[in-house]
Amino acid sequence: MSKTKINRRNFLKVLGLGGAGAALAGCDMPSYVTLEEGEEKIYSYLAPEEYVIPGVGVWYASTCLQCPAACGTHGRVREGRVLKLEGNPNTAVNAGKLCQMGQAALQAHFNPDRITEPLINGQPASWDDALALINEKATKNVAWMTGAISGHQRVLLDAHLAATGKGRHYAVETINARAWTDAGKAVLSDAMPTLHLDKAEAVLSLGADMLGTWISPVTFMGQYGQFRAAPRGVLMAVEPAMSLTGANADQWVAAKPGTEAAVALGVGHLLMTKHGLSLNSMPNATSAFQSMTPARVQDIAGVSEAALNKIADTLASRKPSLVVANASHAAARVAMALNIMLGNVGKTLTPGASIVADPLAPIMGSTKDLAEFAQNADAGKIDAVFITGANPAFIAPQGLNMAAALKAVGFKVALATCHDETTKVCDVVLPLSSALEDWGTHVPAYGGKPGVVHLQQPLMEPLHAETRGLGDILLTLGKSAGVDGLEAFEDYYGYLRTAVSAMIGSEQEGDWQRVLQAGQFEAPAQDHAFSTGSDVALGFSENADAGLHLVTVARQGLYDGRHANSSWLQEAPDQITKAVWDSWAEMHPKTAADFGLKDGDYVSLTTQGGAITTRIFTYKGVHPKAVCVPMGRGHTDYGRWASNGVNPLTIVDAHLGDWQSSEVLATATPVKISAVGENRHLVRLMDTDQQHGRKLVATISAQQFGRTQGGA
Amino acid sequence: MSIERNKRKPFPWVKTAVAAVVVGALIVLGAQVFERQLHPESAGIAPAARVPGAEFPTDTFKGKDVPQPINYSHKLHAGDLGINCLYCHTYARRSKVAGIPPTAKCMGCHTVVGTDKPEIEKLTQMWQSNQSPAWNKVNDVPDFVHFSHERHLQKFLFDNPEMDIKNAPDVCAMCHGDMNQVGVAKKMKPLTMGFCIRCHENNQGPSDCTRCHK
Repeated sequence: MSKTKINRRNFLKVLGLGGAGAALAGCDMPSYVTLEEGEEKIYSYLAPEEYVIPGVGVWYASTCLQCPAACGTHGRVREGRVLKLEGNPNTAVNAGKLCQMGQAALQAHFNPDRITEPLINGQPASWDDALALINEKATKNVAWMTGAISGHQRVLLDAHLAATGKGRHYAVETINARAWTDAGKAVLSDAMPTLHLDKAEAVLSLGADMLGTWISPVTFMGQYGQFRAAPRGVLMAVEPAMSLTGANADQWVAAKPGTEAAVALGVGHLLMTKHGLSLNSMPNATSAFQSMTPARVQDIAGVSEAALNKIADTLASRKPSLVVANASHAAARVAMALNIMLGNVGKTLTPGASIVADPLAPIMGSTKDLAEFAQNADAGKIDAVFITGANPAFIAPQGLNMAAALKAVGFKVALATCHDETTKVCDVVLPLSSALEDWGTHVPAYGGKPGVVHLQQPLMEPLHAETRGLGDILLTLGKSAGVDGLEAFEDYYGYLRTAVSAMIGSEQEGDWQRVLQAGQFEAPAQDHAFSTGSDVALGFSENADAGLHLVTVARQGLYDGRHANSSWLQEAPDQITKAVWDSWAEMHPKTAADFGLKDGDYVSLTTQGGAITTRIFTYKGVHPKAVCVPMGRGHTDYGRWASNGVNPLTIVDAHLGDWQSSEVLATATPVKISAVGENRHLVRLMDTDQQHGRKLVATISAQQFGRTQGGA
Repeated sequence: MSIERNKRKPFPWVKTAVAAVVVGALIVLGAQVFERQLHPESAGIAPAARVPGAEFPTDTFKGKDVPQPINYSHKLHAGDLGINCLYCHTYARRSKVAGIPPTAKCMGCHTVVGTDKPEIEKLTQMWQSNQSPAWNKVNDVPDFVHFSHERHLQKFLFDNPEMDIKNAPDVCAMCHGDMNQVGVAKKMKPLTMGFCIRCHENNQGPSDCTRCHK
């Protein structure tokens, strides 16, 4: 037996003492590790402005450039760094709100993959060398390719083109409203009428994702809230795959891809035959409505008579209504005709207005321009091209042969903040300032007060010494090309300040400061000429293919793929599937069963344009004849966070020869699928659609409710 | 009473180990008390209050000598010349940080005063070449602690009816000690959580975790 004794008393004593020691050591004794002395640095200011107080943020107004809408922003700046973005409460486009893409502009600015110096043939070079080479090579048959653009940047760009042989400006946007604006122009003589969603009692959307990506989503989101306030409006959506707008709809109708126009015609048919409406001013439309019986709609679009009747009944009984469409040119024209027939014109659809200073007006962009660029480049009509705000190498369908077209252009210059598939094939790459470091003016295409011009100003000093702003580069190029009147300006700030001062009619410092504070100023605007009911051909043609079709849609977040290099937006779950960081193909469970597939099975999707392989995601929110692969992923060269997923844009039908009356990325591409024998789970936030008996959302049928609550 | 207990064979090393831990703890604690001259006072005992209406924290701490790019002397400026803390550390009254004064404030006097002194020459050189001095932060709390100078000055100085702004140094001394004695800044209070909590307890400050650890 040992001599030592640990009895309870001793044990407790030791425990207490040790415990006290530990407690003393924890809370009060300075830990040599946590409390530093002389470890961090403080860089004091030299001579700050009065309002600069360390620790206190100052807000500056600017403009968001994460999508073409050009919402006004407020950026919080502290100690010389922009830390947070919010919407500008004074800009009518977004009324103080900012979508997730706008929030992520901060990450785009601080992206570690930013290009920091000019490159010539992939090798670092000086600005002088790069500009000298440009002066040498880009002298005639010069073209510019940009995204949506407006304001004074557009003015300088046009001037540069005029001075270098009157080449063409291709404005490329994958996600656009050309179907709607072309229809507006044709039927109403107004490409961008003003829509009053808040005044509507019923809205029918044919592939126009107002709440997601269509034209100016934040504007529509604001009006949507009022639309749903009492008396509550009814939202109906017709599309082959559910969008965010569709997910909010009271009645969602799955239509076979490419047949939305037929559904709209069927609605018109019922409005005429069942509800006695007429459209005598448009005999073409009238006969089209008359011949599209519900039976034909069922045949063509797979939409039941009951569903069609419900839509027509709703539109007939709730006034005023509003019909919007973007699915195809034909669908948009039918939608315009329906609006006229329903008497919405003048109520929920009124003449738009635009800024009088036409050179500043927004060009919204299309894939028609993308197709025409490919065609002209291939035909040797373009000797040099400047590309900024567009990634043709990524977004172009195979059918356009964009790689060959780009190769055919002898000299290519990219102006970009980050490397992408297009900068990779360009001869010169110029490092661009981010949107948060640059000056600019922007005229919102929709939602702003008529004639409003939004101002973009730097929210901090440039992060990288060798980047330059778009306006500055355009000014330099303009001067070299001999554009008149630019010599007086040392930089784009000077140019812009002079131009804006002229527009506001004052050169006073105070007035300029007021414009900067507001983030906007108003220029004269004029209403659009408006005529109701030009009797145009509706351009509807049946899609004969009965098989499976691929549709690719844009989901707000990654947009057309431009935001795939933002880890925030990759992490933000997809609005419909709640998936993150990877691609998927939405497929109806019945279709999957027909092919013997289950959720997560990898399939090869083959079209005339090529093949992509991704897993299927069985989901009822897609037409049984449609497979929906949202665009945005599948980058090959876009920084550290973008190498995931597949790119459906490459394999969709290019509709060659057809892009005058339809967008290149029209919705229906015949596709064949075959399993490749792999199965992997799609990572989703909240990975279930079932309650699993947990009564998270209690439900009761309307019938039961009527019985038990005495409801009418 | 004697109940036959099951005498388990005790591990022979336990007693030694416990003794070693206790001795070790005592050494560490003792070293800190001796080295850093830490004197935690228990709640309630306060010497003559220098800030009317407040319990003055009497902890002390022997801070390191942290070199700075300019060998500034608080003793000369704040002590001998009697310049108020808030003249230079202006931001304390409206921000969470007190701030190191911008060089322009120094140059306000030193474009003419003491221009032959080597440190002033150094400062002037930095001023003229647009170079910010890289100060080393002496009074620091971890990043997960949110401390606001503005709030504390509001309570002890501006909202304190018996305090006049010319006595601001007495309020600053609650956490920064008597700066009139040192050259460049030196840490003279522990700034540990215990230090903060004790003062909060004595002076009716918030005790809600999320006020400082949001």
